[in-house]
Amino acid sequence: MEVTLLIEATENAFRILEEARSHAAGIMDTTIELMAEEHRIIEEKKVRAIFTGARRRRARFQNFAGTACILFVFWVLLSGHFDLFHLTLGGLCAAFVAYFFHDLLFVNVRVGDIRTVVWRFIRYIPWLLGQILIANMHVAALVLRPKMPIRPRIITFKTKLETDISRVTLANSITLTPGTVTIDIREGEFYVHALSHLVAEELYGGEMEDRVAHIFMEGDHLYVQDVLDASRIYETLGV
Amino acid sequence: MIQKSDDVIVRTVARSLMPFILIYGLYVVMHGHYSPGGGFQGGVILAAGFVLLTVTQGIERTRQHMSQKTACVISSVGLLIYAGIGALCLILGGRYLDYGRLSQLLQVDQPTARSLGILGVEIGVALGVMAVMCIIFFSIFAADETE
Repeated sequence: MEVTLLIEATENAFRILEEARSHAAGIMDTTIELMAEEHRIIEEKKVRAIFTGARRRRARFQNFAGTACILFVFWVLLSGHFDLFHLTLGGLCAAFVAYFFHDLLFVNVRVGDIRTVVWRFIRYIPWLLGQILIANMHVAALVLRPKMPIRPRIITFKTKLETDISRVTLANSITLTPGTVTIDIREGEFYVHALSHLVAEELYGGEMEDRVAHIFMEGDHLYVQDVLDASRIYETLGV
Repeated sequence: MIQKSDDVIVRTVARSLMPFILIYGLYVVMHGHYSPGGGFQGGVILAAGFVLLTVTQGIERTRQHMSQKTACVISSVGLLIYAGIGALCLILGGRYLDYGRLSQLLQVDQPTARSLGILGVEIGVALGVMAVMCIIFFSIFAADETE
Protein backbone atom coordinates (compact mmCIF):
# COMPACT_ATOMS: atom_id res chain seq x y z
CA MET A 1 0.00 0.00 0.00
CA GLU A 2 2.68 2.46 0.96
CA VAL A 3 4.72 1.43 -2.06
CA THR A 4 1.83 2.28 -4.50
CA LEU A 5 1.35 5.65 -2.81
CA LEU A 6 5.05 6.31 -3.18
CA ILE A 7 4.95 5.39 -6.88
CA GLU A 8 1.94 7.65 -7.46
CA ALA A 9 3.65 10.53 -5.68
CA THR A 10 6.75 10.05 -7.81
CA GLU A 11 4.66 9.96 -10.99
CA ASN A 12 2.89 13.16 -9.94
CA ALA A 13 6.17 14.80 -9.26
CA PHE A 14 7.49 13.77 -12.68
CA ARG A 15 4.33 15.11 -14.36
CA ILE A 16 4.63 18.44 -12.62
CA LEU A 17 8.27 18.67 -13.60
CA GLU A 18 7.38 17.87 -17.21
CA GLU A 19 4.72 20.62 -17.24
CA ALA A 20 7.15 23.08 -15.76
CA ARG A 21 9.67 22.22 -18.43
CA SER A 22 7.19 22.77 -21.28
CA HIS A 23 6.13 26.08 -19.70
CA ALA A 24 9.72 27.16 -19.47
CA ALA A 25 10.31 26.20 -23.09
CA GLY A 26 7.22 28.22 -24.12
CA ILE A 27 8.44 31.26 -22.22
CA MET A 28 11.87 30.93 -23.78
CA ASP A 29 10.33 30.77 -27.26
CA THR A 30 8.24 33.90 -26.63
CA THR A 31 11.24 35.75 -25.31
CA ILE A 32 13.26 34.86 -28.39
CA GLU A 33 10.39 35.98 -30.64
CA LEU A 34 10.07 39.27 -28.76
CA MET A 35 13.77 39.91 -28.99
CA ALA A 36 13.73 39.22 -32.73
CA GLU A 37 10.79 41.63 -33.13
CA GLU A 38 12.58 44.34 -31.17
CA HIS A 39 15.71 43.84 -33.22
CA ARG A 40 13.70 44.16 -36.42
CA ILE A 41 12.07 47.40 -35.24
CA ILE A 42 15.45 48.86 -34.33
CA GLU A 43 16.84 47.90 -37.75
CA GLU A 44 13.85 49.50 -39.48
CA LYS A 45 14.31 52.69 -37.48
CA LYS A 46 17.97 52.78 -38.43
CA VAL A 47 17.16 52.38 -42.12
CA ARG A 48 14.55 55.12 -41.92
CA ALA A 49 17.00 57.44 -40.16
CA ILE A 50 19.57 56.83 -42.88
CA PHE A 51 16.93 57.55 -45.51
CA THR A 52 15.73 60.84 -43.98
CA GLY A 53 19.34 61.83 -43.26
CA ALA A 54 20.17 61.28 -46.91
CA ARG A 55 17.14 63.31 -47.95
CA ARG A 56 18.11 66.15 -45.67
CA ARG A 57 21.65 66.05 -46.97
CA ARG A 58 20.35 66.09 -50.52
CA ALA A 59 18.14 69.10 -49.78
CA ARG A 60 21.05 70.86 -48.16
CA PHE A 61 23.25 70.13 -51.14
CA GLN A 62 20.60 71.43 -53.52
CA ASN A 63 20.28 74.61 -51.46
CA PHE A 64 24.03 74.99 -51.50
CA ALA A 65 24.37 74.42 -55.25
CA GLY A 66 21.47 76.74 -56.12
CA THR A 67 22.72 79.53 -53.87
CA ALA A 68 26.29 79.15 -55.16
CA CYS A 69 25.17 79.36 -58.82
CA ILE A 70 23.07 82.49 -58.24
CA LEU A 71 25.80 84.15 -56.20
CA PHE A 72 28.41 83.37 -58.86
CA VAL A 73 26.25 84.98 -61.56
CA PHE A 74 25.83 88.01 -59.28
CA TRP A 75 29.61 88.16 -58.77
CA VAL A 76 30.29 88.07 -62.53
CA LEU A 77 27.74 90.86 -63.07
CA LEU A 78 29.47 92.98 -60.41
CA SER A 79 33.06 92.17 -61.26
CA GLY A 80 33.39 92.70 -65.00
CA HIS A 81 36.82 91.02 -64.95
CA PHE A 82 36.67 87.79 -66.89
CA ASP A 83 40.21 86.51 -66.36
CA LEU A 84 40.78 83.18 -64.66
CA PHE A 85 42.06 84.71 -61.42
CA HIS A 86 38.96 86.79 -60.75
CA LEU A 87 36.55 84.05 -61.82
CA THR A 88 38.30 81.64 -59.46
CA LEU A 89 38.06 84.19 -56.66
CA GLY A 90 34.37 84.62 -57.45
CA GLY A 91 33.79 80.88 -57.44
CA LEU A 92 35.55 80.54 -54.09
CA CYS A 93 33.62 83.43 -52.55
CA ALA A 94 30.28 82.14 -53.88
CA ALA A 95 31.00 78.64 -52.57
CA PHE A 96 32.12 80.04 -49.21
CA VAL A 97 29.02 82.18 -48.71
CA ALA A 98 26.72 79.45 -50.02
CA TYR A 99 28.27 76.90 -47.68
CA PHE A 100 27.72 78.96 -44.55
CA PHE A 101 24.44 80.63 -45.55
CA HIS A 102 22.70 77.99 -47.66
CA ASP A 103 19.64 78.10 -45.40
CA LEU A 104 18.90 81.79 -46.01
CA LEU A 105 18.01 82.10 -49.68
CA PHE A 106 16.07 78.89 -50.21
CA VAL A 107 14.28 78.00 -47.04
CA ASN A 108 10.96 76.12 -47.01
CA VAL A 109 11.60 74.73 -50.46
CA ARG A 110 10.52 71.12 -50.46
CA VAL A 111 12.98 68.47 -51.53
CA GLY A 112 13.63 68.21 -55.24
CA ASP A 113 11.62 71.30 -56.10
CA ILE A 114 14.21 74.04 -56.49
CA ARG A 115 14.69 73.76 -60.24
CA THR A 116 10.95 73.69 -60.86
CA VAL A 117 10.39 76.65 -58.56
CA VAL A 118 13.13 78.70 -60.22
CA TRP A 119 11.89 77.85 -63.70
CA ARG A 120 8.28 78.69 -62.85
CA PHE A 121 9.39 81.91 -61.19
CA ILE A 122 11.27 82.95 -64.35
CA ARG A 123 8.17 82.22 -66.43
CA TYR A 124 6.05 84.26 -64.01
CA ILE A 125 8.09 87.45 -64.60
CA PRO A 126 6.87 88.21 -68.18
CA TRP A 127 3.26 87.81 -67.07
CA LEU A 128 3.89 90.18 -64.15
CA LEU A 129 5.50 92.74 -66.48
CA GLY A 130 2.41 92.52 -68.73
CA GLN A 131 0.13 93.10 -65.72
CA ILE A 132 2.25 96.08 -64.67
CA LEU A 133 1.95 97.58 -68.17
CA ILE A 134 -1.84 97.16 -68.22
CA ALA A 135 -2.24 98.58 -64.72
CA ASN A 136 0.06 101.48 -65.63
CA MET A 137 -2.17 102.48 -68.51
CA HIS A 138 -5.26 102.13 -66.36
CA VAL A 139 -3.87 104.37 -63.64
CA ALA A 140 -2.60 106.89 -66.21
CA ALA A 141 -6.07 107.01 -67.79
CA LEU A 142 -7.60 107.53 -64.34
CA VAL A 143 -5.40 110.44 -63.31
CA LEU A 144 -5.34 112.14 -66.70
CA ARG A 145 -9.12 112.43 -66.82
CA PRO A 146 -10.13 115.89 -65.54
CA LYS A 147 -12.65 114.49 -63.06
CA MET A 148 -10.11 111.96 -61.74
CA PRO A 149 -12.60 109.18 -60.87
CA ILE A 150 -10.50 107.40 -58.24
CA ARG A 151 -12.17 105.52 -55.40
CA PRO A 152 -9.44 104.68 -52.88
CA ARG A 153 -10.22 101.85 -50.53
CA ILE A 154 -8.50 99.36 -48.30
CA ILE A 155 -9.43 95.80 -49.08
CA THR A 156 -8.78 92.80 -46.90
CA PHE A 157 -8.56 89.25 -48.04
CA LYS A 158 -7.46 86.01 -46.51
CA THR A 159 -4.85 84.10 -48.43
CA LYS A 160 -4.33 80.38 -48.42
CA LEU A 161 -0.67 80.70 -49.38
CA GLU A 162 1.15 78.86 -46.65
CA THR A 163 4.82 79.74 -46.78
CA ASP A 164 6.40 83.10 -46.02
CA ILE A 165 8.19 83.28 -49.33
CA SER A 166 5.04 82.82 -51.41
CA ARG A 167 3.20 85.45 -49.35
CA VAL A 168 6.06 87.88 -49.82
CA THR A 169 6.15 87.21 -53.55
CA LEU A 170 2.44 87.94 -53.80
CA ALA A 171 2.74 91.07 -51.63
CA ASN A 172 5.59 92.45 -53.73
CA SER A 173 3.78 91.62 -56.96
CA ILE A 174 0.75 93.54 -55.69
CA THR A 175 2.92 96.49 -54.68
CA LEU A 176 4.74 96.48 -58.03
CA THR A 177 1.45 96.68 -59.89
CA PRO A 178 0.43 100.36 -60.11
CA GLY A 179 -2.75 101.24 -58.27
CA THR A 180 -2.35 98.70 -55.48
CA VAL A 181 -0.06 98.71 -52.48
CA THR A 182 0.24 95.97 -49.87
CA ILE A 183 0.11 97.62 -46.46
CA ASP A 184 0.51 94.61 -44.22
CA ILE A 185 0.24 90.86 -43.89
CA ARG A 186 -1.03 89.63 -40.57
CA GLU A 187 -1.73 85.95 -39.96
CA GLY A 188 -2.42 85.22 -43.58
CA GLU A 189 -4.55 88.30 -44.07
CA PHE A 190 -3.56 90.84 -46.69
CA TYR A 191 -4.35 94.53 -46.25
CA VAL A 192 -4.15 96.15 -49.66
CA HIS A 193 -4.77 99.75 -50.63
CA ALA A 194 -6.46 99.93 -54.02
CA LEU A 195 -6.89 103.08 -56.07
CA SER A 196 -10.04 102.22 -57.96
CA HIS A 197 -12.86 99.76 -58.21
CA LEU A 198 -11.33 98.00 -61.19
CA VAL A 199 -7.97 97.15 -59.64
CA ALA A 200 -9.71 95.93 -56.49
CA GLU A 201 -11.91 93.68 -58.63
CA GLU A 202 -8.82 92.32 -60.30
CA LEU A 203 -7.36 91.37 -56.93
CA TYR A 204 -10.54 89.57 -55.94
CA GLY A 205 -10.27 87.59 -59.15
CA GLY A 206 -7.21 86.03 -57.50
CA GLU A 207 -5.38 85.23 -60.71
CA MET A 208 -2.12 86.58 -59.30
CA GLU A 209 -2.48 84.49 -56.18
CA ASP A 210 -3.18 81.39 -58.23
CA ARG A 211 -0.08 81.98 -60.27
CA VAL A 212 2.07 82.54 -57.18
CA ALA A 213 0.62 79.39 -55.66
CA HIS A 214 1.50 77.62 -58.87
CA ILE A 215 5.13 78.77 -58.60
CA PHE A 216 5.49 77.45 -55.08
CA MET A 217 3.28 74.40 -55.69
CA GLU A 218 0.55 75.23 -53.23
CA GLY A 219 -3.19 74.86 -53.31
CA ASP A 220 -5.09 77.74 -54.80
CA HIS A 221 -7.84 79.22 -52.67
CA LEU A 222 -9.01 82.73 -52.19
CA TYR A 223 -12.05 84.14 -50.60
CA VAL A 224 -12.95 87.70 -49.98
CA GLN A 225 -13.57 88.37 -46.35
CA ASP A 226 -14.24 92.01 -46.04
CA VAL A 227 -14.32 95.23 -47.99
CA LEU A 228 -13.64 98.52 -46.27
CA ASP A 229 -14.68 101.52 -48.28
CA ALA A 230 -11.99 104.08 -47.56
CA SER A 231 -13.45 106.82 -49.75
CA ARG A 232 -15.39 108.27 -46.80
CA ILE A 233 -12.20 108.49 -44.78
CA TYR A 234 -10.55 110.32 -47.61
CA GLU A 235 -13.53 112.69 -47.90
CA THR A 236 -13.26 113.47 -44.22
CA LEU A 237 -9.59 114.12 -44.57
CA GLY A 238 -10.36 116.46 -47.47
CA VAL A 239 -8.05 114.71 -49.92
CA MET B 1 16.01 95.05 -26.73
CA ILE B 2 16.20 93.96 -30.33
CA GLN B 3 13.48 91.58 -31.27
CA LYS B 4 12.72 89.61 -34.35
CA SER B 5 10.74 91.76 -36.78
CA ASP B 6 7.08 90.78 -36.87
CA ASP B 7 6.62 91.84 -40.48
CA VAL B 8 6.84 88.81 -42.70
CA ILE B 9 7.82 90.89 -45.76
CA VAL B 10 10.74 92.57 -44.02
CA ARG B 11 11.90 89.30 -42.52
CA THR B 12 11.80 87.30 -45.73
CA VAL B 13 13.31 89.97 -47.97
CA ALA B 14 16.12 90.64 -45.49
CA ARG B 15 16.79 86.94 -45.21
CA SER B 16 17.08 86.36 -48.94
CA LEU B 17 19.10 89.56 -49.38
CA MET B 18 21.74 88.48 -46.87
CA PRO B 19 23.84 86.22 -49.19
CA PHE B 20 23.90 88.99 -51.79
CA ILE B 21 25.11 91.53 -49.24
CA LEU B 22 27.90 89.17 -48.24
CA ILE B 23 28.96 88.50 -51.82
CA TYR B 24 28.89 92.25 -52.50
CA GLY B 25 31.10 92.83 -49.46
CA LEU B 26 33.52 90.16 -50.68
CA TYR B 27 33.49 91.73 -54.14
CA VAL B 28 34.44 95.11 -52.65
CA VAL B 29 37.26 93.43 -50.71
CA MET B 30 38.61 91.41 -53.63
CA HIS B 31 38.55 94.28 -56.12
CA GLY B 32 40.06 96.76 -53.69
CA HIS B 33 43.21 97.13 -55.79
CA TYR B 34 41.29 97.80 -59.04
CA SER B 35 38.32 99.92 -58.04
CA PRO B 36 37.15 101.94 -55.03
CA GLY B 37 36.81 99.83 -51.95
CA GLY B 38 39.09 97.59 -50.00
CA GLY B 39 39.35 95.86 -46.68
CA PHE B 40 37.75 98.48 -44.45
CA GLN B 41 34.76 99.22 -46.68
CA GLY B 42 34.19 95.57 -47.54
CA GLY B 43 34.45 94.54 -43.91
CA VAL B 44 31.86 97.10 -42.91
CA ILE B 45 29.51 95.88 -45.64
CA LEU B 46 29.92 92.30 -44.40
CA ALA B 47 29.23 93.41 -40.83
CA ALA B 48 26.17 95.36 -42.02
CA GLY B 49 24.82 92.08 -43.37
CA PHE B 50 25.03 90.56 -39.90
CA VAL B 51 23.45 93.63 -38.33
CA LEU B 52 20.56 93.34 -40.80
CA LEU B 53 20.22 89.66 -39.94
CA THR B 54 20.13 90.50 -36.23
CA VAL B 55 17.51 93.24 -36.43
CA THR B 56 15.20 91.16 -38.63
CA GLN B 57 15.69 87.55 -37.51
CA GLY B 58 16.57 88.14 -33.86
CA ILE B 59 19.81 87.47 -32.03
CA GLU B 60 19.29 83.73 -31.63
CA ARG B 61 19.15 83.07 -35.35
CA THR B 62 22.19 85.26 -35.95
CA ARG B 63 24.18 83.40 -33.32
CA GLN B 64 23.83 80.24 -35.38
CA HIS B 65 25.93 81.94 -38.04
CA MET B 66 28.13 84.30 -36.04
CA SER B 67 28.49 83.97 -32.30
CA GLN B 68 30.52 86.30 -30.13
CA LYS B 69 33.19 83.64 -29.80
CA THR B 70 33.47 83.07 -33.56
CA ALA B 71 33.72 86.82 -34.05
CA CYS B 72 36.58 87.01 -31.55
CA VAL B 73 38.42 84.19 -33.32
CA ILE B 74 37.87 85.75 -36.76
CA SER B 75 39.11 89.16 -35.62
CA SER B 76 42.29 87.57 -34.28
CA VAL B 77 42.76 85.61 -37.52
CA GLY B 78 42.34 88.81 -39.53
CA LEU B 79 44.97 90.61 -37.49
CA LEU B 80 47.24 87.57 -37.78
CA ILE B 81 46.97 87.61 -41.59
CA TYR B 82 47.76 91.33 -41.74
CA ALA B 83 50.66 91.21 -39.31
CA GLY B 84 51.85 87.88 -40.71
CA ILE B 85 52.21 89.22 -44.25
CA GLY B 86 53.99 92.29 -42.92
CA ALA B 87 56.35 90.20 -40.81
CA LEU B 88 56.95 87.81 -43.72
CA CYS B 89 58.24 90.73 -45.79
CA LEU B 90 60.43 91.70 -42.84
CA ILE B 91 61.82 88.15 -42.57
CA LEU B 92 62.52 88.04 -46.33
CA GLY B 93 64.78 91.04 -45.93
CA GLY B 94 62.57 93.95 -46.89
CA ARG B 95 60.69 96.54 -44.87
CA TYR B 96 57.43 95.86 -43.05
CA LEU B 97 54.67 95.27 -45.70
CA ASP B 98 57.23 95.59 -48.54
CA TYR B 99 55.27 93.21 -50.80
CA GLY B 100 57.93 93.09 -53.51
CA ARG B 101 59.93 90.69 -51.36
CA LEU B 102 57.14 88.12 -51.58
CA SER B 103 58.11 87.45 -55.21
CA GLN B 104 60.89 85.11 -54.00
CA LEU B 105 58.39 83.09 -51.98
CA LEU B 106 55.54 82.96 -54.50
CA GLN B 107 57.76 82.41 -57.57
CA VAL B 108 56.14 85.29 -59.49
CA ASP B 109 57.42 88.63 -60.77
CA GLN B 110 57.42 91.73 -58.55
CA PRO B 111 54.19 93.48 -59.71
CA THR B 112 52.12 90.29 -59.34
CA ALA B 113 53.65 89.68 -55.92
CA ARG B 114 52.71 93.22 -54.85
CA SER B 115 49.15 92.73 -56.13
CA LEU B 116 48.76 89.42 -54.30
CA GLY B 117 50.30 90.85 -51.14
CA ILE B 118 47.85 93.75 -51.16
CA LEU B 119 44.99 91.30 -51.71
CA GLY B 120 46.10 89.21 -48.73
CA VAL B 121 46.34 92.27 -46.50
CA GLU B 122 42.92 93.43 -47.67
CA ILE B 123 41.41 90.07 -46.73
CA GLY B 124 43.01 90.25 -43.29
CA VAL B 125 41.75 93.80 -42.74
CA ALA B 126 38.26 92.87 -43.94
CA LEU B 127 38.03 89.89 -41.58
CA GLY B 128 39.22 92.02 -38.66
CA VAL B 129 36.88 94.91 -39.39
CA MET B 130 33.89 92.64 -39.92
CA ALA B 131 34.46 90.67 -36.75
CA VAL B 132 35.13 93.77 -34.61
CA MET B 133 32.02 95.50 -35.95
CA CYS B 134 29.99 92.40 -35.09
CA ILE B 135 31.51 92.28 -31.59
CA ILE B 136 30.68 95.96 -31.03
CA PHE B 137 27.11 95.42 -32.18
CA PHE B 138 26.65 92.27 -30.10
CA SER B 139 28.14 94.00 -27.05
CA ILE B 140 25.76 96.95 -27.37
CA PHE B 141 22.92 94.48 -27.72
CA ALA B 142 24.07 92.44 -24.70
CA ALA B 143 24.41 95.60 -22.56
CA ASP B 144 20.86 96.45 -23.61
CA GLU B 145 19.70 92.99 -22.64
CA THR B 146 21.03 93.02 -19.09
CA GLU B 147 19.28 96.23 -18.13
